Amino acid sequence: MATVVNDVVGSSRGLSMNHWRSRVLCLCAWGAAMAAHAGSLTVKMVDSQGHPISDGVATIDRAYQPSAPSTHYVDQKNETFIPYVEVVHPGDSVVFRNSDSTRHHVYTFSPLGAFQFILSPGESSPPVALNRAGVIAVGCNIHDHMIAYLVVATDFAEVTTQNGQAHFDDLSPGHYTVTVWHPQLWPGRPPIRAAVDVPAEGATQELAFTLKLMPDPRHFVDREHLDY
Amino acid sequence: MKVRRLYPMLALLIAATSLRAQDYVLHAYIDERLVAAPDDTSWTNGGFGKTRYGGNQTQLHFGGAALYGAAQITPDLLAMGQVQYQTGDRGRVSLLEGWIRYRPVSTTPWRWSLRAGALFPPVSMENDGVGWTSPWTLSSSAINTWTGEELRAVGGELELEHRGEVSNWDFRASLFRRDDPAGTVLAIRGWSIGDLVSGIGTRLREPDAEVSEEDETPPNYYDPFRSIGASHWGDYVAVSWHAPGETSVSVMHYDNHADPGASAPYAGGDEQYAWRTRFWSAGARTDTGAITWIAQALDGYTTIEPIEDAYQRTHYRSAFLLAGWNRGAWRPALRIEHFSTLTPSSDIDWSQSEHGNAVTGALNWRPRSYLRLTAEVLRIDSTSTLRAEYGLPARIIDTQLQLNVRLLY
Repeated sequence: MATVVNDVVGSSRGLSMNHWRSRVLCLCAWGAAMAAHAGSLTVKMVDSQGHPISDGVATIDRAYQPSAPSTHYVDQKNETFIPYVEVVHPGDSVVFRNSDSTRHHVYTFSPLGAFQFILSPGESSPPVALNRAGVIAVGCNIHDHMIAYLVVATDFAEVTTQNGQAHFDDLSPGHYTVTVWHPQLWPGRPPIRAAVDVPAEGATQELAFTLKLMPDPRHFVDREHLDY
Repeated sequence: MKVRRLYPMLALLIAATSLRAQDYVLHAYIDERLVAAPDDTSWTNGGFGKTRYGGNQTQLHFGGAALYGAAQITPDLLAMGQVQYQTGDRGRVSLLEGWIRYRPVSTTPWRWSLRAGALFPPVSMENDGVGWTSPWTLSSSAINTWTGEELRAVGGELELEHRGEVSNWDFRASLFRRDDPAGTVLAIRGWSIGDLVSGIGTRLREPDAEVSEEDETPPNYYDPFRSIGASHWGDYVAVSWHAPGETSVSVMHYDNHADPGASAPYAGGDEQYAWRTRFWSAGARTDTGAITWIAQALDGYTTIEPIEDAYQRTHYRSAFLLAGWNRGAWRPALRIEHFSTLTPSSDIDWSQSEHGNAVTGALNWRPRSYLRLTAEVLRIDSTSTLRAEYGLPARIIDTQLQLNVRLLY
């Protein structure tokens, strides 16, 4: 169970305590239903040089059934959205917070639901409900180099951390299809998937993906490359 | 409107907007360099040498300084200006560009914006640093040296972007004035390679030999950014395609619509002609691993009609390929290019041509974010009938070495 709690904390940055608790309870209930024989899965993402890839999303083909929707927070610091990639589920909400000393104009033109907010320093947006599954790219109309992605997933999904790993615990034994996505994968190409069998007991099953990524689209302003 | 009136207006505008703005950005650079110059007198000193420095001397030079400021007046409104400081005889302080952009947010894939002011036409794919400098080399390509010297659009530009699932498109159209002398240097001097950018307020030096030929006393200077003859608008249109990653392709057409028969008195000499200048420009940029590739090509004509129905038309073209290796603090870059001009005429005095090739190798080291050190070698092999006309060797090979220290803010 400690592993489950750690996982929840690590994967739900910015969750309020109530939502954190509800999600833990949800996973506990789901875990209990899996009986005593629960397995775990670690999905690793590396680039062609073997370096870990963070901000990748691993999804397993099991529907996520939350007991209550969550509110997620996306911050803006140093003209950067934090996190770069956030997994949410249909019915969840997201709040954009401006921790910079400059204004931001957060917006998206996603067909899944367009919105826009002008945020002064220290200001937060009202919660935006996300009801349709898919990927929503979010930008700033003042700072074109700022970009973030909201992945609205109907299945269980986790974001890889700095070590390039995403963990799924309390899985029922069985056959799983894992789909990976990253904002710097070439768009329009077939999804990257692999199958894995999670045993009832024993060591954590691992599944590794080697991804070829495009350059980071977040052009951090440099004195030699002005973004105008 | 007189050019001199632009200074206080723009200064007041920038100052006023900065005071009210919650968001502003300032950047700057200052540059000092040790230069081993080739023999031929540089174009900057009235010669036909192709490099910025000449006279076969090795000495320290002040390379230039520039200040970049941008203020976000409202979420939709951005004001931006760049001012440079140069020593030499071109004018010390000048406005490189200054504009206001209105860009409302769009929650559809289409987004439009409007810029008004003094703009660089979107030719260069090299020069995106403070003061319109290049992060790859000290000397810009021949195409972008000319762009920096003679092309500026004082007017408005409408931009329409389409943000697609896979790639983005960008359409620009501009109406402008005050660029009627554009093309003068290509016709009377030919191509050159350097990093001396003209600002509004700069005066460009004509080749001394050409001035003497007109029974005038050199040096003569002209204002590259002025209107000549009847009121008219120039225009450019540009289309860019941006693929995922760092790949982009651009095509543009420029036409200043100057009246080739028009002329006006100027401080430097008798009459300054309007040059009807048109060109097509294309460029592409992509990354393969740690290597950035940039290629540009430009092909156009510039025409004057000093005597009724007697046209002098110069065809000019140039192309380059640049490869830059992004190795963290170290960034080597290599550029090869070709350039030519051709002015056909049955009158031997008017018929001219030049062609040449250049190789630029630069090693940039940036041990700190505020410090860049660059070693650059530039070799230009060119042949010009104009030089032969004045008793100089038609073919010359100029090699210029520079060791540069640049402080960035």
